[in-house]
Amino acid sequence: MENPYSGLSFFSVIGLFFMRFFEFLSGKLPLAGLATDEVQVIVLSAIGISSALIGAFLVFKKMAMLANSISHTILLGIIPAFLFSTTLEMNLPVLLIASGIAALLTAFFTEALHEWTRLQEDASTGIVFTSLFALGILMATLLTRNSHIGAEAVMGNVDALHPDDLKGALLILGVNVTAIFLFYRPWKLIAFDPAYARLLGVSVGAMNMILLLLASMTLVGAFRAVGVLMVLTFITAPAMIARIYCNSLKPLLFLAAGGAFLSAVSGVALARHLLSVYDLPVSTGGLIVTLLGSTYLVCIGVKACQKRLQS
Amino acid sequence: MDGGFLSYFSDPVLRAPMIGSILLSFSSSLVGVLLFLRKESLMGEALSHAAYPGLILGVALCGVYLGDEADLPYVNAFLMTGAFVSAMLGLKLIRYLQDFAKVKQDAALCFTLSFFFGVGILFASRLQFSYSTLYKQVQVYLYGQSATMTDFHIVLFGLLAIGSCLVIYLLRKEFELFLFDPLFASSMGLKTALMETLILFLVGVSIVTGMRAVGVLMMAAMLIAPAAAARQCTVSFSKMCFFSAFFGVLSALLGTYFSNEISILLKTLYPEARLTLPTGPLIVIIAACFCLAALLFAPKRGAVMRLVRLFLFRRACLKENILKALWRQGEDREVAIDEIFGLFNVPPHTLKRQLNGLCREGFVIKIHPQGYKLTVDGVQKARKIVRLHRLWELYLADYVGVGKEKVHASAEEMEHIITPELEKELDALLKSPRYDPHSQPIPEGDS
Repeated sequence: MENPYSGLSFFSVIGLFFMRFFEFLSGKLPLAGLATDEVQVIVLSAIGISSALIGAFLVFKKMAMLANSISHTILLGIIPAFLFSTTLEMNLPVLLIASGIAALLTAFFTEALHEWTRLQEDASTGIVFTSLFALGILMATLLTRNSHIGAEAVMGNVDALHPDDLKGALLILGVNVTAIFLFYRPWKLIAFDPAYARLLGVSVGAMNMILLLLASMTLVGAFRAVGVLMVLTFITAPAMIARIYCNSLKPLLFLAAGGAFLSAVSGVALARHLLSVYDLPVSTGGLIVTLLGSTYLVCIGVKACQKRLQS
Repeated sequence: MDGGFLSYFSDPVLRAPMIGSILLSFSSSLVGVLLFLRKESLMGEALSHAAYPGLILGVALCGVYLGDEADLPYVNAFLMTGAFVSAMLGLKLIRYLQDFAKVKQDAALCFTLSFFFGVGILFASRLQFSYSTLYKQVQVYLYGQSATMTDFHIVLFGLLAIGSCLVIYLLRKEFELFLFDPLFASSMGLKTALMETLILFLVGVSIVTGMRAVGVLMMAAMLIAPAAAARQCTVSFSKMCFFSAFFGVLSALLGTYFSNEISILLKTLYPEARLTLPTGPLIVIIAACFCLAALLFAPKRGAVMRLVRLFLFRRACLKENILKALWRQGEDREVAIDEIFGLFNVPPHTLKRQLNGLCREGFVIKIHPQGYKLTVDGVQKARKIVRLHRLWELYLADYVGVGKEKVHASAEEMEHIITPELEKELDALLKSPRYDPHSQPIPEGDS
């Protein structure tokens, strides 16, 4: 089938996308009829919004480096799941459970080293994730004899997405949004006033665990598309951008999610634009991360200039 | 392998990975001590990822000037320079975010590492088609390939090891001062900003030189694990450097050795499977095992050792309490075992074991199967415990002003802790008292 987007430039891609998207919603366009660009936009924005929402809480709870740990140790969870199939297109439930276990183990070990052996927190984070990741690589090379798995998980490959990935990505988005609705209050309390949260009878441990599980789920959803490292920008950058402009959590979450959505759409459109106008094939994931990151840098730059002008 | 273990240092193929990883681990575990004491261990992870776009840029420049088939030393020079510059840029960004944008350190690190990595991927996706041979070198840098190290790397890592060793040795006083009390250091006129830059400069240099051999992952790990293990063994900075280097070198040695031996073993067992054990991850796991062992079993700070000490202390307390209880029943009285069981809220078998222990030590004598009596030594020891108990009660009541109905609980604990020196001090302070606050006689001391 001919891709309707080939040869289009930035704005025509965006225009066509929204036109076709409404056609799709109204039922005129079948699921199988979605072009790869559309799949990419939907998957990337679902992942982007999920990561932005979960990421906001992770950033405020100073758990960003824990997300980095999990993004490495998820490899340990991927491998058992990998054994049941031959490619990375394995069934989502197995993958989610396996990586959830890996995430909880990582958090548990990090916390245990810190609490029980009084190791300083940065070192315990570092030791746990590097050794678990090393274990993952060892197992991967021994069991799968495929050194490729590491590369694909780290780099991601947006072009390998197909309509089946839509279901997983939207499911993950749905679960994340539901969880935010359910646990908004306790998470907010824990992030900004843990002592008060405990006083009100919020179970901090359980809430953190749920957050971690959701984070691992989001990472799993992301690693096929953008890889486990670049998704960390999806997690940190939207919340950090929104933090510049918002002083309360609710608008911040909306702004972060909106930013993630915009960057996904414009990233895919820009990648298409580069391809059709300059004949330049680039990694869409890398492009979106660069966009998000530079947006943040520009934002803090502008903010700094404003401050200097005002004073 | 016919040469055995020594061939790892003489065989031209085997020796480069072996000596190379040892030298590399040596220098990175030394630098890791600085990073660990700054509580910035994760900086290694962030900077090693931040180096990625520099690698890609190095490839691009190298490709433009030298073409896709350039000689390896030149390629390496380009890649390393690029990686170093980009790692330092990453560092600048992290510091800027922390200091000016008021971002918490974890978020700053996480953002910077993934942002830089993403930028790298963006460029890489363009480059891998135009300079595919060079791009393979970048992959080698990311995942490490210790097997393809050459004598060139030995020299390079040797220089790195000597360099970092020299810097740390020459500036040991300054580093010590700076790491343990930065505020005091700056008031002494030490340029703390310069010290910090120097530390992270060293980190950057070791990451960039080491990445090629062992990969990003192992660089991050070798900067943390040996230092953390070393911290468990000592409190002095110079000894910590020594221990850290020791752990680092040992893990590299064992990791390289076993990865090679096991790979050979696997090759003979499953010839068609082409299984190999990657060196870098194995070194990381061994280093982590050392670290875990140190965390658990280090003589002073180990978690298990602390539990053991606690256990032994509790046992010693229980023994002393048994002696005290027997003494209270009368110095010469024979006490039935059931009576002793009734005095303590402790399982009978534990009590029985402690009683047997006391018998062995000669403080208690077993008159007949069910009865115990204090020996002369036992009486003396029991008196001493009671003496300490009552001295402490008197001290609390007279000098600290604690109500005399409250002093007993504290004395129950202190009687096991007070040393002979402290006893003498108390005795002198209280002027060899005869009675405690409850008008109970205080037994005489030994002298």
